[in-house]
Amino acid sequence: MTVALSIVVDGIAYGMILFMISVGLSVTMGLMRIVNLAHGGFALLGGACAHVLTMRYGMPFVPALAASVIAVIVIAIPLERLVYRHIYRFSELEQVLATIGIVFVMIATVNLFLGSTLLTIRMPPEVSLPVNLGFKVLPLHRIIVIVVGLLMVTGLYLLVERTRFGIYLRAAVDNQNTAASLGIDTPKVYLAAFALGAGLAAVGGILGAELLPIEAYYPLRYMVLFLTVVTVGGMGSIVGSFIAALSLGILDTAGRYLLPDVGTIFFFLAIIALLALRPNGLLVRPS
Amino acid sequence: MRRLCAGLLATAIATFALGGAALAETIKVGVIATFSGPNAIWGKQFKEAIQVYVAQHGNEVNGNTIEFIYKDVGGPNPDASKAAAQELLIREGVKYLAGFDFTPNALAVAPLINQAKVPAIIFNAATSAINKQSKYFVRTSFTLWQVAVPAAQWAAKNGAKKVVTAVSDYNPGIDAETAFGSAFEQQGGTIVEKIRMPLQTTDFAPFMQRIKNSGADTVFAFLPAGPATFAFTKAYSENGLKEAGIGFIGTGETDETTIDALGEQAIGLTTAYHYSDVHTSDLNRAFAAKLGELFPKSRANMASMGAYDGAHLIYKMIELAGTDGDKAIEAAKGLSWESPRGPVSIDPTSRHVVQNVYIRRVERDGGRLVNREFDLVKSVPDLGFDR
Amino acid sequence: MIRISTIDIVRTSLGGTGKLLPVAILITCAFAAFWLFPYDLGFLTQMLIMMVFVVSFDLILGYAGVATLGHAAMYGCGAYAAGLFAIHASPDPLLGLAVGAVIGALIAFFSGLLLMRAHGLSLLMLSIAITMVLQEIASKARDVTGGADGLTGISMTPILGVFEFDFIGKTAFWYAFSVLFIILVVLRVLVASPFGLALRGIKDSPSRMRAIGTPVYWRKVTAYVIGGTIAGIAGALSAQITSLVSVEAFNFALSADVMVMLILGGAGRLYGALIGTLVFMTVRHVAASIDPFNWLFVIGFMLLAVVFFLPDGLISLPRRVAGMIGARK
Repeated sequence: MTVALSIVVDGIAYGMILFMISVGLSVTMGLMRIVNLAHGGFALLGGACAHVLTMRYGMPFVPALAASVIAVIVIAIPLERLVYRHIYRFSELEQVLATIGIVFVMIATVNLFLGSTLLTIRMPPEVSLPVNLGFKVLPLHRIIVIVVGLLMVTGLYLLVERTRFGIYLRAAVDNQNTAASLGIDTPKVYLAAFALGAGLAAVGGILGAELLPIEAYYPLRYMVLFLTVVTVGGMGSIVGSFIAALSLGILDTAGRYLLPDVGTIFFFLAIIALLALRPNGLLVRPS
Repeated sequence: MRRLCAGLLATAIATFALGGAALAETIKVGVIATFSGPNAIWGKQFKEAIQVYVAQHGNEVNGNTIEFIYKDVGGPNPDASKAAAQELLIREGVKYLAGFDFTPNALAVAPLINQAKVPAIIFNAATSAINKQSKYFVRTSFTLWQVAVPAAQWAAKNGAKKVVTAVSDYNPGIDAETAFGSAFEQQGGTIVEKIRMPLQTTDFAPFMQRIKNSGADTVFAFLPAGPATFAFTKAYSENGLKEAGIGFIGTGETDETTIDALGEQAIGLTTAYHYSDVHTSDLNRAFAAKLGELFPKSRANMASMGAYDGAHLIYKMIELAGTDGDKAIEAAKGLSWESPRGPVSIDPTSRHVVQNVYIRRVERDGGRLVNREFDLVKSVPDLGFDR
Repeated sequence: MIRISTIDIVRTSLGGTGKLLPVAILITCAFAAFWLFPYDLGFLTQMLIMMVFVVSFDLILGYAGVATLGHAAMYGCGAYAAGLFAIHASPDPLLGLAVGAVIGALIAFFSGLLLMRAHGLSLLMLSIAITMVLQEIASKARDVTGGADGLTGISMTPILGVFEFDFIGKTAFWYAFSVLFIILVVLRVLVASPFGLALRGIKDSPSRMRAIGTPVYWRKVTAYVIGGTIAGIAGALSAQITSLVSVEAFNFALSADVMVMLILGGAGRLYGALIGTLVFMTVRHVAASIDPFNWLFVIGFMLLAVVFFLPDGLISLPRRVAGMIGARK
């Protein structure tokens, strides 16, 4: 019983981090339909920026987080105008090549200025205090991540489903020409959505850094992890990604508790089984 | 007659010139390591330490100029390592090979050095069995057996009764688990549980729960330095293991190149290892000073020391045997010298470095974290060679 | 942006003179490389093995239009199979290649049954997951595979009992080249055959092919098995020539590199695969030896330049240049 409870609590806490680090990708890849392998690159830029601000300039964590996210958005906007705008029209394979090219350049840039060692982000010491929930001890920052994750998924759900921006975005992705003829400024909608995706990637990179520390090769090291969450979640669905992230977190944690020796094999076999049964993701029925 | 004279003269000049060349030869040393990609830190540390050694000792031995040539293999990549060794041996005519951060990269050159009779000095790759693959391998780093056994002995002597081992599930981890376990049980302790953690693990919370549940008083951990160690030590301090009174003993987790990234959570972690950059000796201070002068941003770690002593060993071998590979290997056997890490020697059977293993604790020292030595086990050989 | 239509490709690959010219160029290049870079045979041989590997992926991605990110699965299995066969059964290189091929085919068949039903992102992920499972098994079966230390003790007898593997790597070079050459010839015949045409049809429009009665799924499985066989051969070559197999043979990065090399050169063209491998590996080798710290900049910008200015890959460069000169006249 305690084991089951531990699995669920640890699994949700881990799953929420998985959601945080991949939510930016569910916007760019899931909603906008770009094979954006550079997603981790934006998380890396955000994390590197937060590292410099907190460690070199001693900025407190929360302002540093805000400043880093803004910095990444400021980088993302011209990048979208100059490069990504053309990438939207590419075939999937060309998108792979282009975004891998972009991520290489991002890695090389961080490597050039900050080297290839771990780039820690200083957090207030209180966040690593163990909090006793009665049945289980959990570090405070996991609780913070759970809360932020819940806020994020609610906010995004409302944004995509309930606001005019969300309607425009879905229309623009489904049929750009029709959307444009209806008077939707599709380039602006795309720009906003892309900036949102990049900003979320930065948030995820920074908040997830307690578990997946930032270093120059971060985007490549965790690429499989990002892709897993978005694939299992299904394209075009933020809620799907959220449920996928939590399920994968619980699945992985269960593997580590119950079958530690074959945990990795168990995890990937489960993903294979899941995708074989539901090729379009958890929430989407096979067509 | 005149023609004959001219002929003789020419021969004499040629002989002289050749003799002169033989006297002042350039001896090339090929260094195969990772200089690019996520593991580039290995090559960087190797190269800087060699440059420090050359800055301190010059680049001449017996009038021969020593030239180091560096080749990048981009990570654990035996194919590239073999190709690099071939190129170095054939094109550059190197008389010594060196470097080798990863075990497969070292193993891949074994057939080549056997054929070419060229000594290969291993600066890192820590699997005991490598040296069995060729008699031309000599190693100046460490093996897991060499550091895990002293860790177990020290733990047993200092109050640990029940230990849980938690290691990354790959060969070095298994080596560490076996070495620690057998030595600890020999000392009368109990291993209550052996946990093997997948290499891809990013969230260690489940393992922390198991460590707690195991009822152990100490956890012995082995993980590759970098993200895995970062997340593991973080989980150790955040899940209340310290408060629960579970001690930590490890080996190279608190490597100098990543220790500052671990932050406050690392303070107090105890490890058994063969080198700390704050080892107190004049030689180490001189080494650190020179490194700081040449590379102000760098910090020495075990890779630096492997390369520094490796360079010393190569100089010694050249001094004693020149470019004759077989003779050089014989000369290396039993050599002993004072290294910045302490007294070291080359064991004639395993061709591996015999050295002190220090027990250290992480402390804050000004703006940085250091591994402060407070105990030692003297002259430990490679205890894993005969397994 | 001019796209080359399928018809054009078919015409060129069936064209009469076009048949012999590339073969002659290929052999000339091999001899030229052999004489010009006698010290780099080790690297050149690695490149030839990688060409075999990338060409095998071309059949799957370029011709059948099936995008996977787990092609290293067959490469790794072929390598381990050939290595284990050499240690425990027979040190004959050609038999070892055959074993690598069979294992590559078997892995491709069983995983293909599942993979060829999937599409898009889910296909990518499934292929990654299968490779991860295989890598984990190889890493855990330490007693058989040597685990992370690698599988050692592989030594080969002379090829056909005559050509001994030499220190400089001459035999290895010609061995790898011969294998590549034979595979290219076979693939050229194959892609021009009705089967090859069916694959292109499937790539362009699976529903149309289904409508005219082509068993789309089984055609794709067949292509995947052939690709897997060749990938297995590539892995076996690497095991025999390096005399060591490591778990890195299953790396995700290897699968990704193969895809990048292929798209870089031009997918759907056998020579595109060769050019992509040649350029990618050469640039990486040269850039990494000049500045190992910053070479990723070079690779990154190269990929971007190709995708923006040569969307059909490097192989379309001469045509593009010719087009530009023509336009200026």
